[in-house]
Amino acid sequence: MGAAWTIARKDLKQRLRDRSAYIIGIIAPLGLALVFGFVLNPISDFRFTARYAVADLDGGPVTALFVDNVLRSTKGVEVIKVASTAEAEALVDATVNPRGGTSDKKGADAAYIFPKGFSADVQSERPAAIQVIGNQSSQTNAGVALALAQGYASELTSVRVTVATVENLTGGGVDRLAMGVAVLKTPNPATLVDSTTATKQLDPVTFYAAGMAIFFLFFTVQSGVTGLLEERQTGTMARLLSSPIPRSAVLVGKMLSAFAIGIVSMTVLMVATTVIVGATWGAPLGVALLILAAVIAALGIVALIGGLARTTEQAIAAGSMIAIILGFVGGTFFDVSQAGGVLATLRFISPHGWFMQGLADLSAGDVSVVITPVLAMLAFGLISGAIGMAGLRKGLRA
Amino acid sequence: MKALAIARVNLVRYFRDRGSIFSVFVLPLMIVILLGAASGGGAVPKLGFVAPAPDKFTAELQQNLHAVEGLKVVEVESDEAAVRGVERGDLQAAIILPAGYEQTLRSGADVRIRYVTRKNPNIQGITGVVNATVTRQSTLLRTARFAQMRGAGTFDEALAIAGQARTALPPVKVVESVAGEPLPLAGLGQFDIYAQGMLVLFIFMTTLTGAANLVQTRRLGVARRMYSTPTPVRTMIAGEALGRFSIALIQGGFIIVGTWLIFGVDWGNPIGTALTIVVFAAVASGAAMLLGALVASEQQASGITWAVGLGLAALGGAMIPLVQLKLLSDTVYNVAHVTPHAWALEAFQSLVADKGGIGDIAGFLLILAGYAAVLLLLATWRLRAVLVR
Repeated sequence: MGAAWTIARKDLKQRLRDRSAYIIGIIAPLGLALVFGFVLNPISDFRFTARYAVADLDGGPVTALFVDNVLRSTKGVEVIKVASTAEAEALVDATVNPRGGTSDKKGADAAYIFPKGFSADVQSERPAAIQVIGNQSSQTNAGVALALAQGYASELTSVRVTVATVENLTGGGVDRLAMGVAVLKTPNPATLVDSTTATKQLDPVTFYAAGMAIFFLFFTVQSGVTGLLEERQTGTMARLLSSPIPRSAVLVGKMLSAFAIGIVSMTVLMVATTVIVGATWGAPLGVALLILAAVIAALGIVALIGGLARTTEQAIAAGSMIAIILGFVGGTFFDVSQAGGVLATLRFISPHGWFMQGLADLSAGDVSVVITPVLAMLAFGLISGAIGMAGLRKGLRA
Repeated sequence: MKALAIARVNLVRYFRDRGSIFSVFVLPLMIVILLGAASGGGAVPKLGFVAPAPDKFTAELQQNLHAVEGLKVVEVESDEAAVRGVERGDLQAAIILPAGYEQTLRSGADVRIRYVTRKNPNIQGITGVVNATVTRQSTLLRTARFAQMRGAGTFDEALAIAGQARTALPPVKVVESVAGEPLPLAGLGQFDIYAQGMLVLFIFMTTLTGAANLVQTRRLGVARRMYSTPTPVRTMIAGEALGRFSIALIQGGFIIVGTWLIFGVDWGNPIGTALTIVVFAAVASGAAMLLGALVASEQQASGITWAVGLGLAALGGAMIPLVQLKLLSDTVYNVAHVTPHAWALEAFQSLVADKGGIGDIAGFLLILAGYAAVLLLLATWRLRAVLVR
């Protein structure tokens, strides 16, 4: 074991002097995670602001209710009152900022036109309609404007139905406006409550931080095997083997150094992305177990490739290709779990898929949820590692 | 003509490696397919429906949801199965009704229906229709409850009459119209955008791997030996760059024809597309030469290739479309245009969305040509410095 340690220590020193270890192990994945964080963070920071014009040709209470209770109570909405349809149209026709009218831009994302007699029509049983004009370049905000109007219209229809029902049952007229206000104040008996936060899904920033980390891990630990093959090619291996060091010690030493580099790079990436872009990896113990298992899986697969390859170049080329395929299939670049069907299942043939799933499960569960992903990754690592080590050992005989 | 000889050697060396076939032809198509599938691929979204104890109101809600067009309602056994289905991507959303849905509503208490969806902004549309459907049932129950409270009649009486009233009365409507200019890229299909992004990403990445070849040429001493012959550095750079350039053209042509044949992606004016690829391939070759002249080892070159290739693509709108970046933040959008990727994408998008011709993309092409010239000059200067050091 002493010899293995010595070899591992020497290897580590050598690797740490080589700048490429840092580039592949830390700089490349961290840089990419930062880029993704930079691009994606505006999505999570998104704050809704919109400018809506209102042409109130009606002047009645039903329109006032909408403006005061719906529009003005919606956070981020600025209401511009205009006198005519033409004025409202002109405001919407003006170029607006695609993210919505900000204070420095003139114009409106959408306009509401409440026709003359709207309030009276609503209280009668005559047809009534709110007109909404949306700016085409301001899709989201115009969509919100439309949804608000549709929501209000459906409430008004409900008021109509309620008034008609009560009138029908009591056989007499009621104060329609007062009853309408009362109905609108009555909460709906059944409401939808979004409990998506209770689900185990990674937010986009964490997704890419973790995805890049595990993707590059399979490149980082390649050094364990390529170092071995290199020594074989340059002839230093023969010298090493002629010394009283067991072959297994050489193998273990090389693997140990790659293992250490893998663990360090993953840990650095986890801490750095947490601090810099605010990734949330989850409970430390769970993350630690996942990282440990991922590094073992990566080492096993790299050993398998090394055991089958004849030259260093071959091992690097095949290793990269397999790392890329496993990375994409495992969903480190885009969330293949969302694809459903075969693709969503296919990702579990890759340790990457298990790692990402483990983190996702951990995001809303206790540490025990990582057991299955950890065992799966260990299985990958140990099985491929055993075959690979046998191959590598045989190679060392020469 | 020495440059051509160098380019030829470069090409032969490249394609002798079987891995090259993978990265030039197999990988891009594989990823376009994966991306298409991951983005939903146009499949009908599935809504999980959990009802522990089906009653009349539950059945009615389920029926109403079934009637929604473009939504597939799937019955799911339990809450856990529904949540799991959403997490795993089998379902895009799920709605979980509590036991005794009807009973609770009849008793006058309120019901909260749990709703779970994916943390993905692309499927917010489902939430809207599910919410509208739930509200539609809920408002009718509110009417019945309201009439009951006013002493007008029993809950069931009121509910029956309310149902009739809703069919008989004209609803208050919303009339929708649009004004202003549409978004510049509104005419672009989702898949077209992905295909353009992947084209740009791969041409740049694959070409950039050429940096490692240049490093190898340097490391093995081939470059120095060449330099000792009457071969100027610019010829060496031209030759090496030409090799990468032709690979980029082959790959670009392959991706365009492949996505067109398999997925029916619209690429617009063929001459404009070809010109954009040519200029962008030149930019990528220049970047590869500069990287090859700068770094010390092949391992470093390949690490940087990945980081720079993917990083610039992500930043430049090849992974998250430019339109979306523009919607989100001016800063991100402006930074995107530091990358050549964004300019190439602008050109492609102008060709497809605006049915543009050469004249419309000339500006973009000029900018790209500027990138290529600067990168190649820098590479020549650096390589000379490294060789005579």
